[in-house]
Amino acid sequence: MGPPGPSADGGPTAPATPVRRILALGGHDFTSRPPDRAVCELLLRLAGERGAERPRICILPTASGDTSEQIGRFYAAFGERSCEPSDLSLFRLGRRPMALRDHLLSQDLIYVGGGSLVNLLAVWEAHDIASILSLAWRRGIVLAGQSAGAMCWFEAGITKSSGKPLAAPGLGLLSGSLCVHYNNEPERRAAYLQAVAEGMPGGYGLDDYAGLLWEGEDSPSAVTARRGARAYRVCARDDSVSESPLAARFLPAPAPAALREDIAEFRRIKTIRKRAGWLG
Amino acid sequence: MESGNSLLDDYVLALTGAERPRVCFLPSASGDADHYIVRFYRAFSAHRCEASHISLFRREQGPEDLRRHLLSQDLIYVGGGSVISLLGVWRAHGIDAILREAWEAGVILCGLSAGSLCWFSEAVTGFHGAPQRLEGLGLLPFSNCVHYEPGSKRRESYHCFLREGMRAGYAAEDGAALHFTGEELSRVIASRPEARGYRLDVSGQRVVEMRIATTYLGERGVVPAAPLPEALSTAVAA
Repeated sequence: MGPPGPSADGGPTAPATPVRRILALGGHDFTSRPPDRAVCELLLRLAGERGAERPRICILPTASGDTSEQIGRFYAAFGERSCEPSDLSLFRLGRRPMALRDHLLSQDLIYVGGGSLVNLLAVWEAHDIASILSLAWRRGIVLAGQSAGAMCWFEAGITKSSGKPLAAPGLGLLSGSLCVHYNNEPERRAAYLQAVAEGMPGGYGLDDYAGLLWEGEDSPSAVTARRGARAYRVCARDDSVSESPLAARFLPAPAPAALREDIAEFRRIKTIRKRAGWLG
Repeated sequence: MESGNSLLDDYVLALTGAERPRVCFLPSASGDADHYIVRFYRAFSAHRCEASHISLFRREQGPEDLRRHLLSQDLIYVGGGSVISLLGVWRAHGIDAILREAWEAGVILCGLSAGSLCWFSEAVTGFHGAPQRLEGLGLLPFSNCVHYEPGSKRRESYHCFLREGMRAGYAAEDGAALHFTGEELSRVIASRPEARGYRLDVSGQRVVEMRIATTYLGERGVVPAAPLPEALSTAVAA
């Protein structure tokens, strides 16, 4: 056999381009309630699809000012699961220095928590995080987040970072704009519709527990972890702004950890009984 | 805001000359950490001043008009933490320009650690691992280094940066504070008897370190400097 031949276009064979994936979530928490568990399950699945047995998942809690509360809830949700959770707290590097670039680029999924979009972008800029995240995305590391942590991937979002809902820029990895907490915060939605009417690029509205998943393609697929939670396409038309709900795939909540063990135990007993002829 | 030692807090409050000074805390460098805000309200309790704080991560809760609030203060106290994050967040909310305006209007600016570095043209931060150079707001046209303890990595790096062209400046050991009036250093005070402030210059390739006479505030009979009307005061501590 000769050396590897040139590819069809005549150039050397290039390694397959990794699929660029972003999961934007309109709003959720890390509790044990079913819709929150469904979101966690999706995050774990996306991270696991990169092939690692114990995928590495890092939270960037920057938008909250690295609150212990946000970090604690993240660890409570992922600590017992089959993954390697970590947090990168830019306000706490003094006590816990970390090599930002190496740490982020070694992850399978980077999750950005909610808070102030304006502060998130400002602190990232000061620490030069944006270029690392962009590289991570191009390398196929899944980028995810909720609220400010979802809007940051777009060209713009509607933030309450200054009190009132106002448009603010994001990193622009995804074109267009995003408005979160669409069902819960009417004033945020109104500000979004007005901004789009006034020329801000259109985009999407996301209810709490609705999400949009980009997997390489230009258009996302919608997911929802709670019945009734929706994702909307928001576009400027001649004189108005249209909101069209997108068909969404429902994410069922997995049984909670304790229940999973009970079910497994029940199944074991059932099998034994079946074998013993106790059950039909 | 040293625990169990209010000497420097007493000093800056006395500088205002007000009976019940208005004091606003900016905890931005800590990410507006709750425990730090609580510590501020304990140190600057209601019986001695009118205390408030601004959380730039929770703008929906604080004063709406940041400029008006900050310009109405007698004293603005900036907490420690990450100076890089601090400057980033301030710029995003226009706080950098407001603080300059407040300083020019005679509001006393003070702070410790990151809250000291931020006022200078250049500073040495050791918060993020290896010490690095950065640009501050530039109200004081010097360089600054805090936690300037003998044998520390910061001290060594500061000298190195000075040899590489960093402008001359001032350093403070933990517990020491540099009090500037306008752009001039008026005195060095300390909450610990052994703490000192330093002046650093470069002569050719040689760093000249000069220890500045430092007044320990714990001695009886030390009266804080009388407030100077129209003066621009900045008191910074390590």
